[in-house]
Amino acid sequence: MYSFYVNGQKISTEKKQSLLRFLRDELHLTSVKDGCSQGACGACTVIINGETCKACVPTTDRLEGKEILTVEGLSKWESSVFTYAYGEAGAVQCGFCIPGMVMCTKALLDKNPDPTVDEIKYALRNNYCRCTGYVKIIAAVKLSAKILREGFIPEKSEDDWKLGSRVHRLDVEEKVCGTGKYPDDFYPDGMCYGSALRSRYPRARVLSIDTSAAKAVPGVIAVLTAEDIPGQNKIGHLKHDQYTLIPAGGLTHYLGDAIALVAAEDMETVEKAKKLIKVEYEVLPAVHNMAEAAAEDAPLVFDEETSNVQAHKYVSRGNAQEAIKHAAHVLSHHFETPWTEHAFLEPECAVSYMDEDGDVMIISTDQSAYCTLHECSLLLGTDKVKCENALVGGGFGGKEDMTVQHHAALITYCTGRPVKVRLTRAESLLIHPKRHHFVMDFTMGCDENGKIMGVKAKVASDTGAFASLGGPVLERACTHAAGPYAYENFEIEGTAYYTNNPPAGAFRGFGVTQTCFAIESLLNMMADKIGITPWEIRMRNAIRPGGILPNGQIVDDSTGLVETLEAVKEDFDAAMAAGKPVGIACAMKNAGVGVGIPDWGRVKLIVEEDHKLHIYSGASCIGQGLGTVLVQMVVSNTDLGRGDIVYERSNTWIAPDSGTTSGSRQTLVTGEACRRACEKLMEAKKEGMSLADMSGMEFYGEYLAKTDPLGANVPNPVSHVAYGYATQMCILDPKTGKIEKMVAAHDVGKAVNPLSCEGQIEGGVVMSMGFALREKYPIDENCKPVEKYGALGLFRSHEIPEIKAIVIDKPGLNVACGAIGIGEITSIPTAPAITDAYYRLDGERRYSLPISGTPYNRKG
Amino acid sequence: MAAKKKFPYRAAVVACNGGCRAKDDPKCAYGCICCGKCVESCKFGAIFINELGVAEVDEEKCIACGKCARVCPQKVIHIHECANYIVVKCSNKEKGKAAREVCSVSCIGCGICEKTCTAEAVKVIENCAVIDETACLSCGMCAVKCPRHVIIDQRGILTERY
Repeated sequence: MYSFYVNGQKISTEKKQSLLRFLRDELHLTSVKDGCSQGACGACTVIINGETCKACVPTTDRLEGKEILTVEGLSKWESSVFTYAYGEAGAVQCGFCIPGMVMCTKALLDKNPDPTVDEIKYALRNNYCRCTGYVKIIAAVKLSAKILREGFIPEKSEDDWKLGSRVHRLDVEEKVCGTGKYPDDFYPDGMCYGSALRSRYPRARVLSIDTSAAKAVPGVIAVLTAEDIPGQNKIGHLKHDQYTLIPAGGLTHYLGDAIALVAAEDMETVEKAKKLIKVEYEVLPAVHNMAEAAAEDAPLVFDEETSNVQAHKYVSRGNAQEAIKHAAHVLSHHFETPWTEHAFLEPECAVSYMDEDGDVMIISTDQSAYCTLHECSLLLGTDKVKCENALVGGGFGGKEDMTVQHHAALITYCTGRPVKVRLTRAESLLIHPKRHHFVMDFTMGCDENGKIMGVKAKVASDTGAFASLGGPVLERACTHAAGPYAYENFEIEGTAYYTNNPPAGAFRGFGVTQTCFAIESLLNMMADKIGITPWEIRMRNAIRPGGILPNGQIVDDSTGLVETLEAVKEDFDAAMAAGKPVGIACAMKNAGVGVGIPDWGRVKLIVEEDHKLHIYSGASCIGQGLGTVLVQMVVSNTDLGRGDIVYERSNTWIAPDSGTTSGSRQTLVTGEACRRACEKLMEAKKEGMSLADMSGMEFYGEYLAKTDPLGANVPNPVSHVAYGYATQMCILDPKTGKIEKMVAAHDVGKAVNPLSCEGQIEGGVVMSMGFALREKYPIDENCKPVEKYGALGLFRSHEIPEIKAIVIDKPGLNVACGAIGIGEITSIPTAPAITDAYYRLDGERRYSLPISGTPYNRKG
Repeated sequence: MAAKKKFPYRAAVVACNGGCRAKDDPKCAYGCICCGKCVESCKFGAIFINELGVAEVDEEKCIACGKCARVCPQKVIHIHECANYIVVKCSNKEKGKAAREVCSVSCIGCGICEKTCTAEAVKVIENCAVIDETACLSCGMCAVKCPRHVIIDQRGILTERY
C-alpha cells in the first residue's frame, strides 16, 4: 500500500503504476494531460513537494508521504489569477500544454514572486508548447507574478468583443483550469480500450492472420480484422487509398498499417492480446525514397496502381523558357526541405459509443467533424454515425486524416461498447501524415534592374504510404512557387511519389513552406548578383493591388505585401547600419481552398431556451481560436453582447458542414457565413424583439468561396478568394551566432483579434525556426521513423529570441468584414529569412533544411 | 562572502555517490577518495565531505568558479547548470562486472538510461552515463529507471538524494 497526498487529500493505492495513469485513470484528475508518457512534453506536469515534476515519470511506489498538487488543487484565487493573466496575455491556443505551464508558473512564483524573464523561461523550459512560440506564456507568467504580488485582478484591457478587439479568448478558463475536455478526458461508463496491431514490415504481403490466441485472453472483448468491416475498407481524406485494416492477401504500405484491432477491458490486456496475434508475412523489398519510387523497375507501393506516381501537376503561364533565355541574369539551384513532424501536444484520440438513437457517436480530435463522419460512414456502410469535436490539442494539418476515429467507430459498431482508441506518442509519430520532404530545382531570370523575367521549376515530393492530401499539397506548392511577385512567365512541374515511408499530407503552409524556401533563397542570391539589397529586390517585384500574379489572378485592394515590406524597413535598415547579419523573405498564402473546388462556409445561429444565441458551425477549432472569431463576428454584426452568445463545438447533427480547418480558411469562409447569418438575424430582430421573444428561431448563413479551377480557360482566373501576405526578417547576434530578433509583418485584411493574430505569428515563427534550424524526423532503412518526442529538436522556451509581430490591417476584401486567415503564412517565409541571415554571417549559402553550422545544431 | 551570481546559475557537482564509502576503504579507482583538496580550495565553504565520506556541493554557496574541479586528483567534479537537477553521480569507467564489485551504486554502463531518454541526452561513454545538459529535459526518467541509483534528482523528489 502506497500513501500520499493529492491536492491535500490522503490517498492510498496498492497498484504500482505511473503517477500520470493513477491521477487520470483512478482519480480522473484530467487536467493532467498525457502528451507523450516519455517525460518529454511536460503536459502532465504536477507539483510534488513544491517542485515541478512530470507525472509520467514517478511510479506510485516512490511517492510515499509526498504532497502532489494538480491544477484542480489550486485555490480559487490562484485559478482566477492564472485565468486572467493567461487570457490577458493571449497565452492560450490549443490549451493542451497549459495546465502543465500553469503548474510551472505556480511552482516558480511560490519561490520567486518577482522573476526575471530569463528565470521565467527557465521555469518553463522543460515543457513544450507547439502553438504559441512561448512568447505570450512568458508574458502570462510575468503578469501572474504582478497580480499575485499586488493582490488584485485588474479589469480586462479590452472587452467589447467587436472586431479588432484584443479580447480574452472564450476558452481560456476551461483550458487554464483543466476542466475543458479533450477526447482522452472522456471516461464513459463501461468504456473499453482499443488499439491496433501494426505491420511488422513496411512492405510485405500479409499471408494469414490468426487471432484465436488473442481472442482467448480473459478481458478481450473483440479482435477485429478486415473481414469484420461492414462497409468500405479503403477510406481517405480525398482519394480512398488508406486501408482501415490490411486484409489477408493484402499488401502493407508502411509500418503504421493496421492489421488487426483489439478491444479489451484495459490497456494491459490490449497489449497482451496484440502480442498473441499471429501474422504470417511475405517480406517484400520496400520503396525507401523518391528515387527508388521513380526507378523503372520499382516495386509498386500499391497493388492497385500502375506506377508510384501519386500526383503530377503542371502549371504554366507565359513562356518561362524564352524569358529566362533573354534575361540579363540567370540563377539556378537545387533545394531540399525535410520531413517535418507536427508534434501537436495532444496525441490522436477518439472515444466512441452507441448513443440513444442507436448511432455510433464519435468524440474526436480532428480538423473536421464532417470528414470523420464521412469516412467512418463509408467504413461502416451506414449513415447512422455522429461526430462531435472535443477540444483539439493542436492540429497544424496533422489531424485531417483518420488515425483513430475509424478504429474506434468500428469497435463500437461491432461490439456495442464505448471505447477509447488513443495513439501512443510513438504511434502518433509514425501514423499521422507529415510535412512532405521536397526536392526542388529552380531557375530564375531577372533583368539588369532585378525585375523577375521568368521562373522555371521542377519539384518532387515523397507522399509516403497513402495519398492523404499529397495531391493538393503538391498543387499548392506549385501554384505558390512563383512567390508574391508581379511577373508573367512561370512554369513548374511537380510530381508526388508513393513510398513505404510514413504518409505525408497537410502541414501548416501546405507545400508553400517548401517552395517558398527555394524561390526566396534564389531571390536573395539574385539581389546580391545585381547589387541591391534583398529588401529592395522584393520592393521592385512586389505584387500590388490591381497587379497580376504569375498565375494570372488580378489581386484586389487588400493586397498588402508592400505594406509588410515597409513595416520591417526600419528594423532592416537599423540592423544593416549596425553591421548585423540580417535575412529577409516574403510569402503569400491563400485563404480558402480555391482552384475551383466548392468551398462552403456554413453557420447556424439558434436562439435556445436559455434566451441566448448559440453559434453552430461544423468547423473545428484546433486551437487557433475560431470560436472567439465567430463571437466577435456576431457582436460586430448584431446588436448583441458577449453575454448573449454561446459558442458550441462543432458537431454533425446540429451544426452545418463548414469544411475542414485547412488552408487558413475558417476565419474568412466560416466568418463570412456567420456574417450572413447575422444579417438574417438582424432583419428578424428589426421588429424590436429581444432574444427572449425569439426563442427557437434559427438563422442560417452560407457562403461559397467561388474560384476558377487550375488551368481554367479565362484570361485572369480567380485561383483563391483571398491571399495573405507577409515579410519576415531575421537578425543575428554576430557575437553568439544566435538569432537576436525575428520581425514578422503580416497583412491580414482585418485583424479580428490582434492578440490572437500575434499569437499565431509568434507560434508560426518559432515552429519554422525549428524547421529552419534544427527539427528532424529521421526515417531508418526499415522505413521506421523516430519514436521519441524529445528528440525532434523542437524549440524550447529559453531558446527563443525576441519576436516582433506586426499585424497590418488593409481593407479591400469584400467578405468576412475583410478578415483573411493567418494560420499558415506565419510559418512560410521564416526559413529562407533565417537561412539568408546565416549567409550574411558566415558567407556560406545553404540550400537544404535544417541548415547546418549554427549554434542551434545538436551536438553528436 | 557571497559573490554575486549570474543567471542561469551554475555550480559544481561531484560525480560520485560514495557507494564504496570512501573514507574507510576506497575501492573504486574512479570515485572520490575523500582527500579533502576540494574542501581546502573552496573559499566559499561550498563543498564539504558528507556523511557517506564523499565530497558534496552546497549549490546555494557555490559560484561555479571551478577551482575544486581543477584540484580534484580524481577528476570527479565538474560544473553544471543548477536548473539541470538530474545528474549522474558516478565516474566509474570499468565494465559492468568490475564496476559492480567496487561499489553498490556504480554505473555499469547498462544503457537503460540511454534507451529511456526521450531527448537523446544521455549517452553511455566509456561505460559510464553522461548527460548532455543542453538537450536534457530534466524529466528524470533515466533516474527513475536506473537500476543502480547512479542518476539522481538533486531535489530529492524522484529519487533519494543519494
